[in-house]
Amino acid sequence: MSAVMETVNETTRPFIAVTEVWVPKDGRLVWSSGDYGALADFAAISEKQSFAKGEGLPGKAWAEARPVVLKGFDGSYFLRAEAARVAGLTSAVAIPVFAGNDLKAVVVVLCGDDAERTGAIEIWHEENGLLLLDDGYYGAARHFEWVSQHTHFPRGQGLPGGVWAANAPMLLRDLGSGYRFIRADSAGRAGLTTGLGLPIAVPGRRTYVLTLLSARGTPIARRFELWNVRSSRSGAATEAVLADGICQREGPLWDDEHERRVAAWQGAVGEALGSGLPLVRTDTALLTAGYASMVALPLYRDGVLAHVVAWYY
Amino acid sequence: MQKLVVIGAGMASGRVLETLFETDPGAFEVTLFNAEPRGNYNRIMLSPVLSGEKSFEEIVTHDDAWYGANRVVCRFGEKVVAIDRTRKVVVGENGEVPYDKLIVATGSVPFIVPVEGRDLPGVITYRDLDDTNRMIEASARAGGRAVVIGGGLLGLEAAAGLRLRGMEVTVLHLTGHLMDRQLDEAAGYLLRRDLEKRGISVMTRASTERILGENQVEAVELADGTRLAADLVVMAVGIRPSVELAKAAGLAVNRAIVVDAQMRTSDPDVYAVGECVEFNGTLFGLVAPLYEQAKILAGCLLGRPGSFAVKELSTKLKVTGCDLFSAGDFAAGDGREEIVLRDPAQGVYRRLVIEDDRLVGAVMYGDTGDANWFFDLIREGAPVSAMRETLIFGQSYQGTAPLDPMAAVAALPDDAEICGCNGVCKGKITGAITAKGLTSLDEVRAHTKASASCGTCTGLVEQLMAMTLGAAYNPAAVKPMCPCTDLSHGDVRRLIVAKELKSIPEVMQELEWKTSCGCAKCRPALNYYLLADWPGEYADDDQSRFINERVHANIQKDGTYSVVPRMWGGLTSASELRAIADVVDKFSIPTVKCTGGQRIDMLGVKKEDLPAVWADLNAAGMVSGAAYGKALRTVKTCVGTDWCRFGTQDSTGLGVKIERFMWGSWTPAKVKMAVSGCPRNCAEATCKDVGVICTDAGYEIHFAGAAGLDIKGTEVLTQVKTEEEALEMIVALVQLYREQGHYLERIYKWLKRVGMESIRAAIVEDAEKRRHYFERFAYSQRFAQRDPWADRASGGVAPHEFRPMAEISYREAAE
Amino acid sequence: MTREWHRIGLLTDIPRRGARCVTSPFGRIAVFRTADDEIFATEDRCPHRGGPLSQGIVHDASVTCPLHNAVIELATGFMQGPEGGRVRVFATRVDPLTRVIELSLAEAAGVPEAAE
Repeated sequence: MSAVMETVNETTRPFIAVTEVWVPKDGRLVWSSGDYGALADFAAISEKQSFAKGEGLPGKAWAEARPVVLKGFDGSYFLRAEAARVAGLTSAVAIPVFAGNDLKAVVVVLCGDDAERTGAIEIWHEENGLLLLDDGYYGAARHFEWVSQHTHFPRGQGLPGGVWAANAPMLLRDLGSGYRFIRADSAGRAGLTTGLGLPIAVPGRRTYVLTLLSARGTPIARRFELWNVRSSRSGAATEAVLADGICQREGPLWDDEHERRVAAWQGAVGEALGSGLPLVRTDTALLTAGYASMVALPLYRDGVLAHVVAWYY
Repeated sequence: MQKLVVIGAGMASGRVLETLFETDPGAFEVTLFNAEPRGNYNRIMLSPVLSGEKSFEEIVTHDDAWYGANRVVCRFGEKVVAIDRTRKVVVGENGEVPYDKLIVATGSVPFIVPVEGRDLPGVITYRDLDDTNRMIEASARAGGRAVVIGGGLLGLEAAAGLRLRGMEVTVLHLTGHLMDRQLDEAAGYLLRRDLEKRGISVMTRASTERILGENQVEAVELADGTRLAADLVVMAVGIRPSVELAKAAGLAVNRAIVVDAQMRTSDPDVYAVGECVEFNGTLFGLVAPLYEQAKILAGCLLGRPGSFAVKELSTKLKVTGCDLFSAGDFAAGDGREEIVLRDPAQGVYRRLVIEDDRLVGAVMYGDTGDANWFFDLIREGAPVSAMRETLIFGQSYQGTAPLDPMAAVAALPDDAEICGCNGVCKGKITGAITAKGLTSLDEVRAHTKASASCGTCTGLVEQLMAMTLGAAYNPAAVKPMCPCTDLSHGDVRRLIVAKELKSIPEVMQELEWKTSCGCAKCRPALNYYLLADWPGEYADDDQSRFINERVHANIQKDGTYSVVPRMWGGLTSASELRAIADVVDKFSIPTVKCTGGQRIDMLGVKKEDLPAVWADLNAAGMVSGAAYGKALRTVKTCVGTDWCRFGTQDSTGLGVKIERFMWGSWTPAKVKMAVSGCPRNCAEATCKDVGVICTDAGYEIHFAGAAGLDIKGTEVLTQVKTEEEALEMIVALVQLYREQGHYLERIYKWLKRVGMESIRAAIVEDAEKRRHYFERFAYSQRFAQRDPWADRASGGVAPHEFRPMAEISYREAAE
Repeated sequence: MTREWHRIGLLTDIPRRGARCVTSPFGRIAVFRTADDEIFATEDRCPHRGGPLSQGIVHDASVTCPLHNAVIELATGFMQGPEGGRVRVFATRVDPLTRVIELSLAEAAGVPEAAE
C-alpha cells in the first residue's frame, strides 16, 4: 500500500447526508458515533443531544419498537428541527437494533431534499401474509415512490419478499429489469440499480424489512459487504464469514472457494461483531481502498447476532 | 511450443488453462472451442444470477483480456464436428485445427424427461447462461407461472430464483422427499418447509405424464391426472456426460470417457477432464473433484507427477436463507452409528454417521457454521471417540469455549499506556494507524515510537494493529504463555501494569484465563510478575511457587533436600566452617560438596530437619544462599588488590558489596554474577549474567553471558570509574531486567529480545532513568530482603510445610 | 470388612491449592486441598520416578510433580500423557460442620503402578 492513499474522487454525491448511532445509557439514548460530512454545526449539536424513550425520532423508534420514517421536520416531534433546517436536512429514518427484547442501539440516517438526489430507503411490514410499504424516503424518485406505495409483495417475491422469506440480508445487483413487477420498470427508469434488503428484528411477532436502493448518480454506498456471523458455545460472536459483497473499485468481493473471515474486534466489522453494536467510522480512508466513511450494522435473529452488514462511502 | 486444443470452455478446462499459464506460460499454444458463444464462467453461480444476487459479469472467470494476454485462440459459439485422431486434427464448424495434445472437456448435457410435449417452446433445461436468461425473461412477463421438474439441488435453486423474480412456482419431485440424494427425510422436510415459506409449492411423489400446449407450453399433467398451468417448464432432473464426440473418435467410453489417474484417455495424446469423464467407475457432478482433476492434468501436461484420487464430497444449496450442508456417506447401515440433534424452534437438524470410530457422513440443516469442520473430520478420517459426547454440537463445543484475546485489548481505554518506554497510549497508536495508513509494525514504531525501545509491548501493538486494520493485518503469531491463555508473557506483563491487576485471581479473571487455577507454568510466572510490579502491595502466594522456592531448599531425586548457606563473595571464616561441620554431624548429612558458585552445599537433608538445620546455621550468622531460586545466586570473586599481584581494584570487596545489596530479590530467572580483579578474569566474569572486570581506569560492566546449556561470552554494557557507579549501574540493570524479563528468561535471552540499544538508552545514557531503576530496586528490597530460613526456623512461617498433618500407626490401621 | 476412617485433621490445616502429608503403614500419603475446598488423597509417590506429589503445584483438581512436571489427576490418580501410569488413591470425607477430614486406608482404589 502506498504511504498516502487518496480518498476516492467524489464525482457522485451521497444520497444519505448523515448517519448516526445512538446507544441506551441510564435510560436515555446518547450519541455514540456519526458521520456528518461537512455539517459541523449539526454534528456539534447532535453529539450533545440525548433522548428519553419515546422522545424525538430515535426515542420513538425505541418506544414503538419499529423502524420509523419522518419526512419534514417542521412542527414534528423531531428535536433538532431548527438545526436540521439550517443544515439542509429534511427527512430521516430511524432503525432500531434489538437483540430479542433488548434495545442495543438506534441508527438514524438523514437526507436532504433536492431535485437531483435519487434513491430509496423503505420500510416494509407484513400484513395478512403480504409485505406492504410502511413508509419510505425517495428523494426525487416521485414516480417510483407512488408505485411502491401501491405495490405489495407476496412471500418470497421481490427484494422485500425475498429478504422476509429468507430472514437474511440480500444484495440485488440490478433492480431495473428481469422482474415481473411494475416497480422494476419504474426503478429502471429512475436509475435505481443496487438494492440492499435487511431483515429488522423487533420484539414481538412483527416483521420489518428495510431496503436501501441505490441510484448510479447518488448511491447509498459504493461498497457493500454482507457477513454471516458464527458464535461460540457461550453465544458470543467469534467470527464472521463474508457471504456476499460488491465494490465499485474492487469488483465482486465474494469468493466461493476461499471464505473471507474476520474475527471479533478485527477492524471495523470485527468491532461490530465483538461489541454487537452498530458503528459509524469516518477515519477509514486509508484502510479500505479509499472509502472515507463506513457503517457497520449488526442484524439479530431470535436475540442472537446473525449478520453484520457494512456499507462504505 | 506444443499445440494444445481444448474442446469445451467449462470450469474444469478453465482451471487447467489457468494452472498451465501460471506454471509455464510458454509451453503451449492453445486453441479453445466452446459451443456456447462465450468463454469460461463459473457455472455454479448461475443460480445467484437467476435470483439477481449476482450479475453475469461477476461470475466470468476468464475475460477477453485474459485470453488475449495468454494468446489463446478463442473459437466460441463454434461446435466441434469431429476429432480425427489419425491426422491429429480437430474439425470445427469453421475449419480444422491440428493438435499435439488434445483435451476433451465437453461436460454434460441435461437430462430431458422423455414425455410428450418436451419440445414445446417454454420448456427449457437449466444448464447455461442462455437458459438463465430465458428464465429471467420469462419471469419478466406478467402472470408467470413456472413448473420446475426435479427437486434436486439445481431445481430448487431455479425455483427460488424464479420466485424472487415474481413467478408462481411449483416444484415436482418424483420421490418422497426433496434432494433425496443429499438429504435424509428429516432434513428434506425442513427444506420443504423453508421453500413453502417462500411461497413455492412443493409436490412430492409427483410423476410428470405429459406437457400440454399448442404453440407454447400451457400446462403440465401428472400421472394421477392433476394439471398444473404453466408458462415456463424447467427440467432439472439430472445430467448425463456428453460423450458423442469421443465415442465417434473411437476413444474408450463407458458411461463417460474413461481416463486414468493422469486424466489420459485410451489415446495417449488425448486427455479428458470434468463432467465428461469416468474414473474407476465414478462420474463427477460437483466442482471440487473437477478442480482437482484440472490440477493433475495441467501438471501432467507439463511433465510433473501427479495422480487423481476420488475424495469426499460436500454439497451446499445456494438459496439465501436456506442453510443446508451434506457431506460423505450418510446412509444408515450395519456397523454404523448415528447421532442426531434436533432443535425444532430454531429449525435446526443435524445428523452424523459414524463407522469404526470415524465420521463418515454428515447432514445439516439450519446453522451450518461448523460445516467445514465436520467435512475436514470426514476427509481426514480422524478418530472421534474422544469427542463423541460433544461431537454433534460442533467445533466450538469441544473442550472449553475458545476465548478472544483481542477483547481484552479492545476494552482498554484510549488513554491506557501501551508503550511505557516512550509513553505512548492506545489512542495515539490507533489514531496514527488510521490517519497515516500504517500497515506494518516498523511503520508504527517509526511514527509513534511505540515498541521501538524495549519491545516488551510489541505483542500488544500488533494486536492493536489487527484490531484497527482488521483481517488485512497478519501479526506474527503471538506465542501464548501457557495453555491457559492465548496471551504472551509480554502481553500479560503489560496488561498487569496497564490494568493495575494485583492478585492472581484478578489477573485470571480480567484476562479471561481458560482454567480456574492456572497451571504449573503460569502460576509461578504470574506470582513473579505481580511481586515485581507491586512490591509491598502484593503478597507472595506460596502455593504458586515451585517446591524449592516454597521450602527454600533444593529438592533432590530422592525427596531429600540440599542446603546452601550464603558465603558473601565466596569468603568464609573458621566459625562458619565449624558451624557447617557441626550441622553435618548433628543431622548425619550424607554429602558435603563445594559448588561452582564458591560456596558449600550439604546434600541429603530430610525435609523435617530443615528448620532445625537452619536454626543452627542462623545461630552462626549464616543466611539462605537462595541456591534454589529465580533470584540472585552468587557473586563470585577473585582476590583482587587484597592479595593478588595483578589485582587492579578490590574485586572481593565489590563482590561482597553487590551480594549484600542485592540478595533476597526475586528475578525472572536465576542471576549469577562475578567480579574479576583484572582482565585475567579468574572469577570467570565474562560468562556470567552480570560480570565486572576491574581495570586500572575503573570497572568494566559486562552482562548477558551464559555457561549452561548455552555458552556465550558477555557483552560490555559500559565502563564506570567508581565502585558506587558500578553498583548503581548493576542494580539498575537488574531492575530493568526484573521489569521486562519474561519468567524463566535468562538475561542473555532478554538482551537478544529487546536489544542493546534499548537497554543502553534506559540505564546508561540517561542518568536520571538509571537512578529511578536503582531506587525502584532498593524500594523492592525493603520487602524482599529477609532471610527465609530465619522466618521458618522458629516455626513462625509455614510450619505446615515441614511436618506431617497426621500419623496413622500400625495399630490403628490394622483394626 | 468395614471401612475404617481415620481422623487426620481439619480442612484448614491444609493450605488451599496445597497439600500436607500423612505417614502411614503404606508409606507417606499426600492429602490435597483444591481451590474449591475439595479434598483428595494419593500415595505421595509420582508414578513417573517416585517424586513427592505433595510438594507439587496444585491447580484445578490436578497436581504437577516437582521433579519432572508430570501432571496427576487427583480424583483418579491417573498421570496425564501418553505414558500413562497411575498412583494409588485413598478415600476421604469431610464433615461439613466440623470440617474434620477423615481418611480411609482399607480400600485403596486403583492399582499401584509406580515406574520404579
